[in-house]
Amino acid sequence: MGGVYEVLSPWAEVDPVPLEGIRPRPPDLRGRRIGLFHNGKVAAAPILDAVETELRERFEGLTFARFGRRDNLEVAETADRGRYEQWVREVDAVVLAVGD
Amino acid sequence: MYDAVFTERLDTPAVVLVNEGFGFDARSAASGKGMPGVRVVPETVPCECTVPDRISNGVRLVIDDLVAAMTTPLTDDERSPAPREAERTDGIVFRGDLGEVQQFAYRRGWTDGLPIIPPTEEAVREMLAGTDLPPDHLVGRMVPRLGRVTVAKIAVNAVMAGALPTYMPLLVAGVEALLDPRAQFGTWEVSTGSWAPFWIVSGPIREQLRVNGGTGALSPGDMANAAIGRAMGLIVKNLGGARKGLEDMGVLGNPGKYTMVVAENEEAIPEGWDPLHVQQGFARDESCLTVSFPNTYLQIWPYGSDDRGIIRAIGANMVPRWRQLTLLLPPGHAQALADGGWTKAEVASYLYEHARVPAHRTPEFWGTPGPMQRGRPPFNAEDSVALLRSPDALRIAVVGGPGTFMGLAYGSGGWVTRPVALPSRWESLVRRYRGLVPNHVRY
Repeated sequence: MGGVYEVLSPWAEVDPVPLEGIRPRPPDLRGRRIGLFHNGKVAAAPILDAVETELRERFEGLTFARFGRRDNLEVAETADRGRYEQWVREVDAVVLAVGD
Repeated sequence: MYDAVFTERLDTPAVVLVNEGFGFDARSAASGKGMPGVRVVPETVPCECTVPDRISNGVRLVIDDLVAAMTTPLTDDERSPAPREAERTDGIVFRGDLGEVQQFAYRRGWTDGLPIIPPTEEAVREMLAGTDLPPDHLVGRMVPRLGRVTVAKIAVNAVMAGALPTYMPLLVAGVEALLDPRAQFGTWEVSTGSWAPFWIVSGPIREQLRVNGGTGALSPGDMANAAIGRAMGLIVKNLGGARKGLEDMGVLGNPGKYTMVVAENEEAIPEGWDPLHVQQGFARDESCLTVSFPNTYLQIWPYGSDDRGIIRAIGANMVPRWRQLTLLLPPGHAQALADGGWTKAEVASYLYEHARVPAHRTPEFWGTPGPMQRGRPPFNAEDSVALLRSPDALRIAVVGGPGTFMGLAYGSGGWVTRPVALPSRWESLVRRYRGLVPNHVRY
């Protein structure tokens, strides 16, 4: 097929930013306050209902707090950001369900 | 996943439950945000499931995994991830003949499945003549990978797509539009809803680039319409890192992702009507590019050729569930509406008020949260419910040629318009390429 082509890459470079680690886990869930976050997808809240039921059966003294959104946009990019930050401060860990 | 990363950054452990088919996508999203270790628990609950037993069974199957994800001490790599290996993507990456180049690019996952124009240094240099911006100018970082969208990389993808150098200003404006937070591009580009970027070109650049806004504007055959949309698709894939089935999880996909570009047929806009970009706040003589994200395109014909027949057909064919609607009116219908005294804004207000369905046709009535985001579900099955969230959820563009069909492009989000910055030698550039037109033989 004709001549030789020397081609460039269309693939992007990414910044060499330092990667962040995740936060330490509590050793035990007993007595913890668990945040349950769901986006607007239809299965997300029922999944968290089931999570709450299962966790209550396994751990004493658990309490739960819910945060729900009616769309699946990134919460940090919405007007709910401040409300979410406040909510997160009041829980020990968060389980997120996205319905997919 | 972005919400989980945000939560971890608020110094709180987070665990995400996702359907097992979305595991790769979830990890790419977390990695793109700089936190590859976010803990994901894959589950088997069917996507968007409404059957309580299947949900509870699916959760029960993974509850031990969830507890482990919430309590197991961090590994060294989770606590302190190893830095990414620096990835160099400059310079020549392959040498070969035309067929070998095609196979190389396809194997690397860099194409849209169609053959590409080899992005040689010479071709990219010519492409860069379409902008005054330096090659290393950073337009932004595109999600989900947060790839660096430089002018040089835009040019490489533009060459591959078969673009002309004169398309570069539109491609830069297109990237700016996608990176505008109002576009919510990070959601739509990878969503299961298969939303496709729909580009509407406005102002003098339409004619300079010969972007078709007339007959068959959405059909193949026009280099500008074809290559601009194709180039943007390659940019999203290769610079944003949104790859079908890996990060872009559109269930069915969308042919509009190959290209979906039109010009507004401004010459056919009735007197007293504003072009789309003027409605978006720009001057009439300014060249602009507007993006929105439809996933459905319905073509209908009117119930009469006068304004009432047109409005009635639009209202009667509107459907529940979508957040926004771009109405593509051919010139004849736009003129008929204008002759009947309608403006674009009045059409939108009227349809907001009168295009309605019984509540039982809306998802909210059945207990499903719908994209209309109504504050309260309808009470009675026969309650009358609006099909538009607001008059502002509809935009009209005059597009197409003679004939009676009109188009309803239903989507999510809004419309984001960016002005197009032209290079200093624009007029001579336009002259150089503008004569490139198909000359079809008569038969």
